Amino acid sequence: MNDKRHDRRDVELDRYFALARHAPPDISGVERNFETRVMARIREGREAWYAWAWRLAPVFLALTILLAGWSLSYSPVHPADAVATLASGTQEVALLDNLTGE
Amino acid sequence: MYALGVPIAVPDEDADLVRSAIGGDDEAFTELVRRHKGTVLRNAARFARNPAELEDLGQETFLRVYRDLRSFRGDAPFGHWLSRITVHVCYDALRKRRREEKDVSLEVLATPVADPSTGNGPSAQLARMILDQAMSRLKPEDRLVITLFELEDRSVREVAGLTGWSETRVKVRAFRARQTLKRLIGGDDER
Repeated sequence: MNDKRHDRRDVELDRYFALARHAPPDISGVERNFETRVMARIREGREAWYAWAWRLAPVFLALTILLAGWSLSYSPVHPADAVATLASGTQEVALLDNLTGE
Repeated sequence: MYALGVPIAVPDEDADLVRSAIGGDDEAFTELVRRHKGTVLRNAARFARNPAELEDLGQETFLRVYRDLRSFRGDAPFGHWLSRITVHVCYDALRKRRREEKDVSLEVLATPVADPSTGNGPSAQLARMILDQAMSRLKPEDRLVITLFELEDRSVREVAGLTGWSETRVKVRAFRARQTLKRLIGGDDER
């Protein structure tokens, strides 16, 4: 009884599949000029990339100018008397040694 | 060249076009789209719910082809490579759609379908609608396999080749999908 029921269902399902197979979906509307639309999307994607590059160009320009300005204005401290600097350093080390008892 | 939607192994006439398209020739790529749009759209139409969705699936397929064209090695016909991409695009769409379709109505599934040889009973259109509704309840993998297997009449080996899954997995999926569909169309859905 149960097997018969399963057979009936298999047959019924196969009927659905057979009918659906013989009714290929209609693609004519989408197929018309499809390649034109695909190429338009591809070009759109490319143009979007260029557009972003151009949009970011002023930001990069401003960054370059800022960095150039900063590197020109930057002047590290160069003490005139290098011996004095070394000496002061030595004194600090000596003081630390004294304080820590070394 | 295709037989039952399966590319036949002939010298690939698309190879030159692919080479030109990789070199940046838009006309060559347009020709590739023109040649293969029918096959891609017919295959994708089994998974699309409406023309707008079909358009999206078709466009997404060719955009992916354009993006990955350099990875086409040419050891199989271009049409075969394209079919695999189409299947993957459709599978991605099914997975994305899965959440939206959980509460689909099953009332229409109670409609009996007559033997197609007699020509009586509901139209093929109605059968497709009923099947679509029932198949929307399947897991994306099951739906993909049963569509390729039953509606596109492909063999287990072909389905395995297109999906990248093992033949055993394809068989199991097809069996499970059939069981679920029988239950849904037979009206035994436990909800």
